[in-house]
Amino acid sequence: MIESLASLLMVLVVLALGPYVVAVMDRLVATAPRGALASDVWLGPLSRAAWLLTQHANATEAPDWQAWRLAPALYLALAAVGLALVPWSPTLIATDLVTSVVLWGSVEALATVVIFLHGWSANAVLPLIGAYRYVALGLSYILISMFVLIGAALPAESLQLTQVVASQESLWNVVRQPLGLPLFLVVGLGLTFWGPLNLADSTDLAGGTAAEVSGPSRLVWECARAVMLVAFSGIAATAFLGGWLGPWLPGPVWVLLKTLFVLALLLWLGQWLPRVAPERCVTLMWIVLLPLSFVDLVWAGVLALWA
Amino acid sequence: MAVSWLRQLAARSCVPVYPVWGEHDEALLATLVLSTQIELVDSPRHASVLLVVGEIPATLRDGLKHVHDQLPSPFAVVWFRGAPLIALNAPIHVDEADRLVDTLIRTHRELMLGQRDSASRLLPDEPPNPWEGLGDDGHGGEGMMGGTPYGRPMAMNMQDDLRDGLTLDSLTFRLGPFYPALPSGLCAEITLQGDVIQSWETRHGALPQRLAPVFYAARERPVPIAELELARARYHLVQLYRGLHLAGLERIARHALSLARQLSTASRLDGLRRQLVRSGIFHLAAMDGGQLDTEMAARLGGPAARAAGLDADLRMDDASYQRLGFRPQCRTDGTVRARWEQRLAEIDQSLQLARQAEPDGLHTANTEAVETPRGPWSAKPPQDASALLDQLLPGLEWDEAMTLIASLDSREVAETSGRANI
Repeated sequence: MIESLASLLMVLVVLALGPYVVAVMDRLVATAPRGALASDVWLGPLSRAAWLLTQHANATEAPDWQAWRLAPALYLALAAVGLALVPWSPTLIATDLVTSVVLWGSVEALATVVIFLHGWSANAVLPLIGAYRYVALGLSYILISMFVLIGAALPAESLQLTQVVASQESLWNVVRQPLGLPLFLVVGLGLTFWGPLNLADSTDLAGGTAAEVSGPSRLVWECARAVMLVAFSGIAATAFLGGWLGPWLPGPVWVLLKTLFVLALLLWLGQWLPRVAPERCVTLMWIVLLPLSFVDLVWAGVLALWA
Repeated sequence: MAVSWLRQLAARSCVPVYPVWGEHDEALLATLVLSTQIELVDSPRHASVLLVVGEIPATLRDGLKHVHDQLPSPFAVVWFRGAPLIALNAPIHVDEADRLVDTLIRTHRELMLGQRDSASRLLPDEPPNPWEGLGDDGHGGEGMMGGTPYGRPMAMNMQDDLRDGLTLDSLTFRLGPFYPALPSGLCAEITLQGDVIQSWETRHGALPQRLAPVFYAARERPVPIAELELARARYHLVQLYRGLHLAGLERIARHALSLARQLSTASRLDGLRRQLVRSGIFHLAAMDGGQLDTEMAARLGGPAARAAGLDADLRMDDASYQRLGFRPQCRTDGTVRARWEQRLAEIDQSLQLARQAEPDGLHTANTEAVETPRGPWSAKPPQDASALLDQLLPGLEWDEAMTLIASLDSREVAETSGRANI
């Protein structure tokens, strides 16, 4: 009972602090190695959030109001579901389903629906283009994610994330399946439409699905994207970096450190890579990355049989 | 009334500014982008302050009013060296460039702290066209299709698809004149199928741009080549900033602008070039298209023409440049990639020429014809070539089209320098 409450508390704490941590880390990554004004790095995200809370939420001409207001909250809810699946220790986990890998897969699939809804419901041109683009991207990365995660689950012979971690006791999946984590990071950039895969909310669309959003709705949308980044990083740390496994430190600290490592890697990629042209992105996904994910799966299968 | 802690915290935030550029020189952009207190945003919905730079022609004032009314409350407008619209009460007007950033920050803080009222709307909050609720579903058409609700056609597959034969509903809309990914003033009526451009009709050309004062001076008297070439390199770096910002490479984009601001004969492009290559932009972004034929290239002139293989540069006719052994650099394929590579090569070349010319204080010899960074200026300055987009853009995806526009620089050059901004 206490552990259930503690794990729930962990989810709530990450939900509350995740956006701040992502904003601070992103600013640090963006300004490294020159550094920025300390007050801007630490206080900037808070003052920006305060500004968005004071700004009015605008209207467009005849939007689908319910869907438009609901989409950011739904994306945040999906990120919360992802967080609930991250095991902080063998027992400290909010939702230890035997099919938690499948549930994560459904989070990725539903994210496509929610992001499309966000762009479509504004009833404006640029958000609509962003929404269409995201659907094309979503279909591409979900297949990669599926194969890569099945590969991670094979050594555990289970779709339960706690079992996936336990199966990495002797060797982490990042070493056992070297293609897995790099491919999964691409999925993460797609799922959160971050950096090179930010096709939905891009600068060429003046913010894409969020181009017409202001005030608290925009704040929720940005927070949801940040929490999804954290949730994805937690799942990646679980599936490929051995989750709570590690010497000297308590399990939850290891999960935190590994999650922050993956998060920093994603933010760094976001700062240093240009947005991939949509056509090139889809070509890359289907012609290069999807076959590579097959190879990863076959590799994982052969290793599992051999073991 | 006590100001809430939330508003006090909001008052300390970076100021989100949506700029509307009238006639201006590019130096102001660096001032704004490199300020740690200012954030230039791409959508008016994301701004707290609307900054109007320079005079806005009467033909574009309706467009400005539309942008103005898109800013969510509370917001304010700052006018920099331009006459405010008559409809506004108590406009905030700034003439000195060194006061602009402070004014933007102060305006935002006053808004947040409730010391300034939000600007009032200029247009009525109603659809631009009346509702035409005909048809079974009240959408204005027959059955489930067609109609012109609110005066705009429903998305219908009226045209064949240009790409793969998969016909989607076409969507027609007007973009501009102050869309950030387009040159200021450019307004077009666009028809899309999915995100493929079916047609692009330019309705209003881009506003003329002002070059650095040294280019205007070069038309009147010999000017130091070092100064002229540094101004040329600076111009190209600002264009590079725009392209990189559009590509989502904000960090490297700022580096380019920072380099432009501090440019001297001791500057080197190597670091920036290395960052660009390592980022993979030449492979990941849409750079293979946008090929100009010879006629188009000749019409544009300047780096765009040289990137398409035209060996034309007025500096070849200048005796001082001949002394420096100047030869224009050219590419062959005229694509987006070739244009960006051309710009980088010309920045390097300009820095090299400036270094060669500086010790002897070498001046230009020809004032009749000046090669500007936009193109040749002999009888008249480079002219607006926005209409070329009507031929170049159909068939391209949105991302390709915006990348092409950023690489092209089709703006007219203003005949007079006006005032320098900094």
